[in-house]
Amino acid sequence: MPALLELKQVSLAFGGLQVVSDLDLHVDEGEIVSVIGPNGAGKTTLFNLITGIYEPDEGDITLDGSSIVGLPPHQITRRGIARTFQTLRLFLNLTVRENVMSAAFGHTHAGLFRAMLRTPGMRREERQIRALAEERLAFFGDRLMGYRWDQPAYSLSYANRRRLEIARATATNPRILLLDEPAAGMNPAETHEIAELIGKLRTDGGYTILVIEHDMHVVEGISDRVVALDHGVKIAEGSFGEVATDPLVVEAYLGLGTADTK
Amino acid sequence: MPTFLQLTLDALTLGSVYALVALGYSLVYGVLKLLNFAHGDVFMVGSFIGYGALQALGGAADPVVPVWLLLVVVTASAMAGCAVLGVAIERFAYRPLRNAPRIAPLISALGVSFFLANSMQLLFGAQQRDYQSYLLSGGSLYFRGFDIDTVHVPLLRIITILSAFVMMVALWFLVNKTRTGKAMRATSYDGEAAAMMGINVDHVIVFTFVLGSALAGAAGVMFALRVPTFAAVGFTIGLKGFTAAVIGGIGSIPGAMVGGLLLGAAESYTAGYWTTAWSDLVVFTILILFMIFRPQGLLGRADIRKV
Amino acid sequence: MSDLTPGDPNAPALPEAEGPAVGRDEWVARHGERRLVREGRLGEMEARLRAVPWWALLILFLAAASLMPAVESSGYVRRVGFDTVIFMLLALGLNVVVGWGGLLDLGYIAFFGVGAYAYAIFDSDKFGIHLPTIVAIPAITALGAVVGLLVGLPSRRLSGDYLAIVTLFFLELFETVATNGDQIFGHNITGGANGIIDADPLSFFGHSLAVQHQGIFAVSYYYVALAIFALVFVATRFANLSRIGRSWRSLREDPLAAEVMGMPINWLKLTAFATGAAVAALTGTIETSLTGSVFPLSFSPTVLITIYAMVILGGSGSQAGVVLGAILVNVLLQLLQNPDQARVLFYLLIVVGVLTAFRLSRKLAVVVAETVVLGFVIHAVVRAIHPSWATEGHGGFSGVLAHWVVIPQQLTPWVGQVAYGLMIASVLGITLLRGWWRVVVLPPVIYLSAFVWENVMIPNPGPTRYIVLGVLLVVLMIARPNGLLGERRVEIV
Repeated sequence: MPALLELKQVSLAFGGLQVVSDLDLHVDEGEIVSVIGPNGAGKTTLFNLITGIYEPDEGDITLDGSSIVGLPPHQITRRGIARTFQTLRLFLNLTVRENVMSAAFGHTHAGLFRAMLRTPGMRREERQIRALAEERLAFFGDRLMGYRWDQPAYSLSYANRRRLEIARATATNPRILLLDEPAAGMNPAETHEIAELIGKLRTDGGYTILVIEHDMHVVEGISDRVVALDHGVKIAEGSFGEVATDPLVVEAYLGLGTADTK
Repeated sequence: MPTFLQLTLDALTLGSVYALVALGYSLVYGVLKLLNFAHGDVFMVGSFIGYGALQALGGAADPVVPVWLLLVVVTASAMAGCAVLGVAIERFAYRPLRNAPRIAPLISALGVSFFLANSMQLLFGAQQRDYQSYLLSGGSLYFRGFDIDTVHVPLLRIITILSAFVMMVALWFLVNKTRTGKAMRATSYDGEAAAMMGINVDHVIVFTFVLGSALAGAAGVMFALRVPTFAAVGFTIGLKGFTAAVIGGIGSIPGAMVGGLLLGAAESYTAGYWTTAWSDLVVFTILILFMIFRPQGLLGRADIRKV
Repeated sequence: MSDLTPGDPNAPALPEAEGPAVGRDEWVARHGERRLVREGRLGEMEARLRAVPWWALLILFLAAASLMPAVESSGYVRRVGFDTVIFMLLALGLNVVVGWGGLLDLGYIAFFGVGAYAYAIFDSDKFGIHLPTIVAIPAITALGAVVGLLVGLPSRRLSGDYLAIVTLFFLELFETVATNGDQIFGHNITGGANGIIDADPLSFFGHSLAVQHQGIFAVSYYYVALAIFALVFVATRFANLSRIGRSWRSLREDPLAAEVMGMPINWLKLTAFATGAAVAALTGTIETSLTGSVFPLSFSPTVLITIYAMVILGGSGSQAGVVLGAILVNVLLQLLQNPDQARVLFYLLIVVGVLTAFRLSRKLAVVVAETVVLGFVIHAVVRAIHPSWATEGHGGFSGVLAHWVVIPQQLTPWVGQVAYGLMIASVLGITLLRGWWRVVVLPPVIYLSAFVWENVMIPNPGPTRYIVLGVLLVVLMIARPNGLLGERRVEIV
């Protein structure tokens, strides 16, 4: 059985700068894989490649065995890949519930004319979207519940915005979730909560998860497997213990021995 | 039927005017990422200031000064007036919107454009102003020149084209070879980072408006030396200058020059060999082709999407 | 914003049991919520008004609008009413593109023109085609949508800036085609600069609606326009409250995030664009069926700016807002046509402006006293020098005014030009002053403005109307970008 998501020999360069080179990566169904690496290692670029924002110069990316290279981002999302952004990108002036409802676009159907005529089918679908959004928001306990549903997203705190981004991503009904630094900027209690939540996304939600994270406690707590990147090259892969003690990883993070890395 | 040479001469004159206007759009877009819709109207005001100066100095019929000095004074006053106008527009209509949603300064620019065009109409009426009526009676300026084969080449055309070219070269030097130019380029790459590096972004922006508007003023005079000017001309010329900037690659100085000349050529040859009525259609087709096949323009860089 | 009160410490605290423990997050949310609520009777009224469902308000509005011809028998006023409904329709369409889609469509009026010309071509003696209204209206609406799609297509990958250029150029091109359309390969299609002048009136099932009834404007057109307005209002509202509408607004907020969340943004942009174009084309047919004629110059950038002013003033994104904006701007334009009304409007604006700026304070007293005295002194001095430089009025408001503001019998043009330039410079300059400086400088500026208004602007209502609109756009963008009824918006920082 092929891996759910697989990157084969993927390379990407901007001008003369090689951002990702010959990267092999696979994520199996039900796994939680963490990507670590210093700033500028190419982690977010990796996410952009998978979600179709960038197209690789070389190599292939497959989801469930079929290539997704060259597809526009919205098609890739419809095939089952959803992501969050490191720099939050919510629809700030939409309400919390609308943010989540909007992400159901890919798997719903009522078009402009049916909306204008408000046909029974369209109304039924609209009720389903609403129910879906409320269910996804309920996943976060009482954090995003009740009176918050009708508030604009900009009124949320930073931590809740991160939660809302995850809720929005899950509303696309993905098979695999890409989380870009879900614990960035959170305090220790919130970080702990996020780590628990990622586990719960797999057990209760049934999502396969690829996560970029800087907080090593989180990485240690959640990962089945860890991949370390530096300068767009995979330098280590394995369990957290193996990767954390790998000399190349230590060097990449601490800059030992190499004067040109930072 | 005008000859090829005449058309080429016309294309170069018109092209220089478009190029100078396009530079103003490009410069401002570079530092502020703002399409300054009011730029065409600054151009129009420039042509009116030049007319006023010409009137005040009595024209060539009743010369207070020699004709060459007359031209210099007319151009300089238009440039100075436009520079002041440009700075005022930036200070009062755009600066308060520096951090507003992107659509806000665009709408403000539309408002300014509308305000300028209608103010000029209010004060000076909708009728055309013809520089020739002041310069012709002196006789020489429009006719003096030399002949190539049977084609008469007026000196005024040559002066126009050359001075536009000199201004563009000077601008290129200013932007690429001076400290101020370096600050402008830094601001256009990343205004926030430039500010942190100790560049006074406000000064850079004001300076950019001075440059762009002064060029528009010069272009206004050059335009009005060719055909009469009127209060509503800013919209059309602004649109053309704008298109030239986009075709050349918005933000690029050589791009604006190339785009301007290309547009001037398209318009002149269409008018000469086909019909003046549809020259807009030709220009629009060129714009659409660029939008589809090369949206970054001839000399522009394709942006990498930042996530 | 002075009318919004910060969190009132005496307001009853929300019961703690409702919802989770109060953290920073909850505090921010509740604080924000409270800040948005007005205090006192006004706040109560606003809360009640917000609780009324939108359809009830729409029905109320339509009922009130339907009564207008019953109350007002003047043909002029009824005709202005019809024009206002046309503007309301145009504003609703533009609101889809700009307010929800976030797309700067500067060719919008060209689609209005497409509808108008299509009706004039397919329903006139020009080519002897007379489509029944029942066929013509939907067909031309669809045609508008198709043309909208075609124009939007080349700019599909591009940001708002490029769309703005292409659409603005399209507007220019439309005018060119309409003007030169009398010689397309030897055929006369658009009638050139003379336009087409014999378009049919609306006809339903063989009965055509008379344009005039006993020599005055026939009110049936007003009702047809109002009915179409109601339809368009409801249809676009429903569109907005659907997955399509949500995705329009999502793509306005963040196109990249929208795309990654599964929305085909290029297609969605085109649908928003085409919906706006369809509404504009539909409006064009109604307009032409009444006027019976189309001319190239009716679809100029001037009309475009007018519609933008309506949408921005009312609050882009809010349907009620843009309708209100359309009414206010059209009424404003009508008032500016008439010297007496324009005069009253100006002084009213000054009084309201000064009152809101200074409230009831010592500064207010100084400003008022200085302004009044200054005027009479200047008037007396000028009159003493040369009586014809400062005429005197007879009775009424303008009579009193004429003793205050200098109105020469014959104004030398350069005086007007210099005064206008000075006025602009001083009004801009005064925004840079603070405190007592402003108080001292304000009266001469007011006086100068009054002089310019009376002598330069009122006699030229054409340009003046549009100068006012231009200034309105700039001031609105700076002072209140969300307009009168627009939702408060934030941008990503």
